[in-house]
Amino acid sequence: MALTGRTALLAALGALVVGLVLPSWTGIAVATLPVLLGVLADLALAAPVRSLRLERGGDTSVRLGEDATVELTVTNPSRRPLRARIRDAWPPSAWRPGTAFAASRHTVTVPAGERRRLTTPLGPTRRGDHHAAKVTVRSLGPLGLAARQGSHTVPWTVRALPPFTSRKHLPSRLARLRELDGRTSVLTRGQGTEFDSLREYLPGDDVRSIDWRASARRNTVAVRTWRPERDRHVLIVLDTGRTSAGRVGDAPRLDAALDAALLLAALATKAGDRVDLLAHDTRKRIGIAGRTPTDVLPAFTDALATLEPALVETDFRALTANALRMAPHRSLIVLLTGLDARPIEEGLLPQLPLLTKRHEVVLASVADPRLDELAAARGTVQDIYGAAAAEQTRADRRRTADRLTRAGVTVLDAPPTTIAPAVADAYLALKAAGRL
Amino acid sequence: MTATTATTELPTGPSDAAETVAPAPDDAAAHTSVSPTARTLWRRSRWYLFTALALLLVGLLIAGISGQSTFPALDPRSGDREGTLAAVHLLEKRGITVRTVDTERDLEAAVRTPGATVVVPRSDLLSTAQLRRLAAVPRGEGRLVLIAPQQPALDQLMPGSRVAGQTEGPANLVDTLTTPAGCTLPEANRAGSAELGGLTYLRGADDTGCYARHGHPTLLHRASGGRETVALGTGDPLTNDRIAEEGNASLALGLLGSRPQLVWYLPDYSAPAPSVARKSFTDYVPAGWYWATLQLAVAAGLAALWRARRLGPVVTEPLPVVVRATETTEGRARLYQRARAHGRAADALRRAARHRLAAALGIPATTGDVPEAALCAAVAARLGHPAADVQQVLYGPAPTDDAALLRLTDDLDALERQVRQP
Repeated sequence: MALTGRTALLAALGALVVGLVLPSWTGIAVATLPVLLGVLADLALAAPVRSLRLERGGDTSVRLGEDATVELTVTNPSRRPLRARIRDAWPPSAWRPGTAFAASRHTVTVPAGERRRLTTPLGPTRRGDHHAAKVTVRSLGPLGLAARQGSHTVPWTVRALPPFTSRKHLPSRLARLRELDGRTSVLTRGQGTEFDSLREYLPGDDVRSIDWRASARRNTVAVRTWRPERDRHVLIVLDTGRTSAGRVGDAPRLDAALDAALLLAALATKAGDRVDLLAHDTRKRIGIAGRTPTDVLPAFTDALATLEPALVETDFRALTANALRMAPHRSLIVLLTGLDARPIEEGLLPQLPLLTKRHEVVLASVADPRLDELAAARGTVQDIYGAAAAEQTRADRRRTADRLTRAGVTVLDAPPTTIAPAVADAYLALKAAGRL
Repeated sequence: MTATTATTELPTGPSDAAETVAPAPDDAAAHTSVSPTARTLWRRSRWYLFTALALLLVGLLIAGISGQSTFPALDPRSGDREGTLAAVHLLEKRGITVRTVDTERDLEAAVRTPGATVVVPRSDLLSTAQLRRLAAVPRGEGRLVLIAPQQPALDQLMPGSRVAGQTEGPANLVDTLTTPAGCTLPEANRAGSAELGGLTYLRGADDTGCYARHGHPTLLHRASGGRETVALGTGDPLTNDRIAEEGNASLALGLLGSRPQLVWYLPDYSAPAPSVARKSFTDYVPAGWYWATLQLAVAAGLAALWRARRLGPVVTEPLPVVVRATETTEGRARLYQRARAHGRAADALRRAARHRLAAALGIPATTGDVPEAALCAAVAARLGHPAADVQQVLYGPAPTDDAALLRLTDDLDALERQVRQP
C-alpha cells in the first residue's frame, strides 16, 4: 500500500474546516474520516498487482558505452483498469550516469484484459552481466488517494561486452597483413617463409628462389613463390591475478589487456591463424580453444565480458601447465601480464624455459603513464623523492624486461592506449619474419 | 533524458484477450510476484505481535500494581494511610456527591456554586496571584475548607487571621494529639475531642477558634452570611489512618458534609505554575488554531507516509576494488622522504639519467649499467665541459641533505637537456 500527495493535501485542507468551523475532536474526525474512507475505497478498487503478468524482451548484450533497450510487457488480466507507476529497477551501473531515476520509472495505463509494452533504456557503465532487479508496480485507485504496491521478479540479463575500442586500429593492421600476404599489388616479392606454389621464372625474380629440382622436370625455369605462414596457432594468455587489478588511469590493467587480446584475436583470425584464449590466476578462469574463424571474436567477447581481476597471486606454474596443454604444437603465446619484478622473477622466469623451448613467447605489459608523470615531476622535495621512486620502479621494470628478453621473450611495455596496436604490430612483425 | 512513457499498444486478438482474462493457474508468468501475501505477513509477524502484546500486558500490570503509591497525601482516591478515601466513603454514604477538580477555572466555578464544600488541601502551593484570583471570585453559599493554610492564604481568604508563633521564619508545628473542642462551633461540639495539631492560628475579629493547643486554636471558622471559611491546622483527622480515632470521623463529616456537594481541588502539583503575570502571544490565538494545527499534524503524518514509501527497494551491487597501479611507487617515495634516503634517491635518479644519456649518445648498455669512463668522455666531448665535472654530476658522492639532492636533480636535468639540444 502507498499513499499519494493528494491524501496529505486533502488532510491539510481539512485544517481549514477544523480551524474555522469545527475546532474540536469532532472537527478532526469530520476532516479525517472521509480521507481515510477514500483511501480504503482506493485500496479496494485499485487493480490488483499480484495477478499482473510481466514478460521481458529486448537486448541481451551491448558493447560497453553503447545503449541497450529492454522491454517489459505488462498484461492486466483483471477486470479493472490498471493505472500504475512502474519502476523497472536495475543495478546502478546499468544506467547511463544521471538517468537512473527518470529512465527506470514509467507511468502506464493498461485497460482490463489488455497489455502494454514499456521500454527501459539502459547504458551500462561497467563490463559484465547486469541482472534486472525487481519490478515494482504501484497501482493507483480511482480517486488517486492511495495505491496498491507490489513487486515482481522478472529475470533478464544484459551483458555488457568489452568496448573493444582498439578496433579502430584493425583496418590499418589488416592492410599491413594484406601487404605481407601479397594480395595487394606491391612490387616486392611476397614476403614469408611458407611455400605457396611454383611458377615460371620471369626476369627480375630472385635467382635464389629458383627451384632447380622442379626446373629439371620441365622445360622452363621454375621459381618458388612464398607467402606468409597460415594456419598457425596463437594462444593468448591473460593473467587475471592481482597485478591486473591495478588501476591505470580510470580502468584496471585487465581492461587494456582485454582490448589488446580482442584486437590480436581479430587480426590473427583474419590472417588465417587459429586463436585460443586462456585466462588464469590461481586456476583456469577461461579456456576457449578450437573455435571456427567466424566464431572466435564473438566467443572471446562474450567470455571476456564477465572476467574480473582476482586479488590473488598468479600461480605461474599452473598457468604454464595449462598453456602447454592448450598449445601442444608450436604456437605463438602472447602473455598479457605485469612487469612487476617479484611475480615475474619468482613465478614466471623458472617456468619460462618450458614455454620458450617449443613456442614463440611475447610478453605484453600495460605501463602506467602516471609513472612517467611522477618521474618527470620537479619542484618540491616530495616531487624529487617521487621521481626517484618512479625511476627506481622503471629501472626494476627495465631489468625484468631485460632478463625476459635474454630468456628469448619479446617484451612489450606500453601504456593502455597503445598496448593493443603494439601487440598487433609485434604479431605482424613475427609473422613477417616467419617466426610463427 | 525523460522517462520513457511511450507505451506501445499491442494487438490483442480475441483469443489473446480470453487468455489474459482467465490466466491458467500454473502459468509461469503468474508466479513472478514476490510481494508477501497477507498470510505470509501474518505468519512472519505473529510472534512479534504476540511478544508486543505480552509486553504491553505486563507493563499495564506493573503500572496497575505500583500505581497506588503515586497519589499525594490527602487524595480522596487514595487508600493509603495518608489518603482520605475512607472519609469520602463515609460522606458518599450520606448522599453527598464528591468530585475532584484539577484546574483553576473549575475551582473558581466550584467556589461560585452555592451548596458546595470546596476543600483546598495544599493552599501553600498556590501562588499569591492564584490566591488573589480565588479571593476575588464572588462566592456562593458554600464552605471553603483550607487545610494547613499559611499566612499568604490567610491574608487573601481569611483576612485578619494569622498563623501563631510566626514572627518571621517558618511557623512552629505542634504534634497531632487528642484535643478537646473547647468552642461553640456545632461541628466541633458534636465531635468532641479530636486529634488535631499542625499549625496554630491567631483568631481574627469574627472568627471562631476551636481545638486550642498552647492557647492557640488549630481550627478557625469564619461565617459571613451563608459563606463559611474553615482553616484546619492539619489534615490528619481526615486521613484513612486516623479517621477512626476519637471524634475525627464526626469532625470530618461535620466539616465536609454540611453541603450536598463536596469538591476536592487536586491540581497537578508537579506542573509548573502557569505564568500569570502577562498574557503571552499564545493567549490571543483563537482556540480554532490549535485544532487546525492538530489537523495539520495529521496531514503531516500522511505526507510522511506518502514520502516514506519507496517505489521498490534500493538496488545494490558489488563494487570493484580500486587499487592504483602506482600505489607501491608512491609508497616508496614517501618511505624515501621519511627515511631521508638522499643517497638512494640520488642513485636512482643518476642511474636513470645515465641510461638516457647513454641511449642519446649511442653508448651500448649491455650489462645493466653504463660504462663510466666511456659515458663521461662522450658527454664531455659533446658539451665541451671537463670530464671531471661530468663525472662529478653523474658519479659523484651522494648528497647529504634535501637541498643538495634538489641541486643534483637540477644538474642532471641540465646535463640531459644540453646533451639532447647542444
